[in-house]
Amino acid sequence: MKPGAILMDNVSLAYRLYHDRAVTLRETMLNVFNRSTKTEMFTALDGVSFDVEPGEALAIIGANGAGKSTTLKLLAGIYEPSSGIAETGGRIASLLDLGVGFHPDLTGEENLMLNGSLIGLDRNTMKDLIPEIADFAELTRFMDTPVKYYSDGMFMRLGFSLATAVDPDVLLIDEVLAVGDARFQEKCYERIWSFRKKGKTIIFVSHDMNAVAKLCTRAVLLNDGRIQMDGEVEAVLSEYLEGVRSKHDAAAVSPKEWGTREVWFDSVTLRNVSGTPSRIFQKGEKIIVDAVIKTRLSGTVDGVVFGFSLHRPDGETIIGTNNLEMNEPLLKVSESTEASIEIMLDVEEPGSYILGLALTDPPAHKDYHWQEFFYPVTLLDARIDPPLRLSDVTWKQC
Amino acid sequence: MSNWDFGRLRLLMESLVSKDLKVRYKRSVLGFGWFLLKPLFSMIVYYFVFTRILRFGGAIPHFSLFLLTGLLPWNFFSSSLSASTSSLLDNHRLIRSIYFPRMSLPVAEVLANLIHLVLALIVLEAVLIIFGHTPGLSIILLIPALILFTVMTAGVGMLLSVGNVFYRDVKQFVEVLLLAWFYASPIIYPLDSIGVYIIESPKLLQILKFNPVAGFMEIMHSILYAGTWPAAWCWVSLSVWSVMFLTVGLAVFRKAEPVVVKEL
Repeated sequence: MKPGAILMDNVSLAYRLYHDRAVTLRETMLNVFNRSTKTEMFTALDGVSFDVEPGEALAIIGANGAGKSTTLKLLAGIYEPSSGIAETGGRIASLLDLGVGFHPDLTGEENLMLNGSLIGLDRNTMKDLIPEIADFAELTRFMDTPVKYYSDGMFMRLGFSLATAVDPDVLLIDEVLAVGDARFQEKCYERIWSFRKKGKTIIFVSHDMNAVAKLCTRAVLLNDGRIQMDGEVEAVLSEYLEGVRSKHDAAAVSPKEWGTREVWFDSVTLRNVSGTPSRIFQKGEKIIVDAVIKTRLSGTVDGVVFGFSLHRPDGETIIGTNNLEMNEPLLKVSESTEASIEIMLDVEEPGSYILGLALTDPPAHKDYHWQEFFYPVTLLDARIDPPLRLSDVTWKQC
Repeated sequence: MSNWDFGRLRLLMESLVSKDLKVRYKRSVLGFGWFLLKPLFSMIVYYFVFTRILRFGGAIPHFSLFLLTGLLPWNFFSSSLSASTSSLLDNHRLIRSIYFPRMSLPVAEVLANLIHLVLALIVLEAVLIIFGHTPGLSIILLIPALILFTVMTAGVGMLLSVGNVFYRDVKQFVEVLLLAWFYASPIIYPLDSIGVYIIESPKLLQILKFNPVAGFMEIMHSILYAGTWPAAWCWVSLSVWSVMFLTVGLAVFRKAEPVVVKEL
């Protein structure tokens, strides 16, 4: 196995799932007579195969319980597959749970020494690393304080700093980046970015689509323990968000569709300027909504208003407008008409939003077709390089 | 994970053992002294019970020293087993977030207690010499005896640690087991002619020899207290039980490990 390479070949993993679990012998004895404790095998992963080249940054996404964390635990060697092969080459740094090996009564430094040996570092290497770890965690002053006196934030900072202190070949990250305050989080991301730049393999599990899209180039979408899609990150994220939409799960902002359907959206595609269908848009990128609109009325329907709205994930409306309001030409819809909206946004707060569309005729008090909370989109903020430009500088001697 | 070579493993064991020792005596005034004081206090209790109430201790000269030579190793045995029983459960978060050889957890508990035992035995030896129990050449056998007994304790500890993950009763059971085991072991009585006099049943005495710790306790008594060469049956018993418990312990632990990780 090359350092940094990962192989998952037809991996399955089953758990025993307890219903009303018997934890004492007595309960087990009783259950021999009345079988109230049922166990069933729960398949967390089912025939998962993928491989990762050294230096790749792979995101694993999917709903809760899809098998993301299980996959990471397999790669970290914590679980053994029930069948198949899971192999990881080289040194692994796992950020699955920060600071777990810390003992509350030991000081920061004692804990670092202990945990160093758990991740396989010899004493001298660890001694040399301690000042650096303490410095990154901003805890140099607290190294001889027992960690039970640390705040949660301090505890996590030390954990993160330790886990990433040594150059690993593979970095496994599970949703642990909510470390400390915003400034420290930024520092964590920077460190992870530096690993990325050094060509280390990164496997990233997160629900933060923005972070996933920024950090990773490739994504695997898991659904009930199986791979639903494996490919370029934006395509996979689009597929995932599409799935989230069709699941109708969030009650309040679940997609709603209503109207007379005298005029209706036959199909709608969201794409970027280059024509690729997408649900993820870079900063400064146009959102283009292509719609095929049909009517069941005979002849041409005049004066159709085509509107859209953008909402926060909780349903709050941020923008809503239409061609009538903006003095743009109204639509004339005959049997099948193609229309599009090109939306250019100034993104102040990147994140997930929901797009809604509507076909109406306000003067005639007609709602033809509403698609409310229908299309989740992710708006990214770009990392601008260079972040600073010199606009003017002068030197004077007084 | 093949990259756990011997050096790495040794370092891990050292760290775990030193953590154990540090943690145990944080905020404790007497600290390590407790490892001496505990058997000392129990020795005083047993001494009074068995010389003043049951009155058989009088048959053994320097009964208190005789008691200590058995109580110190017994204390090692019972502390090691109690600690290793809960070792996997206590570290469940760690086990579920980093890979490392999990067997090191119960074994580290045993080794930490071994360090205590060795230190306590040195103090005991000094006391024995003061009271005229000068050791003979047989004292060199202390080292192989301790190694074998540690191996046996580790084997039993591995079994119990795995068992406790599946059934929490194991921890309770171990307490009761240790109580019975204590009286079934030649700690407060010897297995020789005096033992026959105390127990009044040579048959029972023969049965007690099958107790896995009987051999070791008799070895301790003859090396430290009597200064004689231990009987051959003691060595046979100790070796056989040690190898057996280690083999079974290792096999069960290896087999159960992948399941244990998921059950924790």
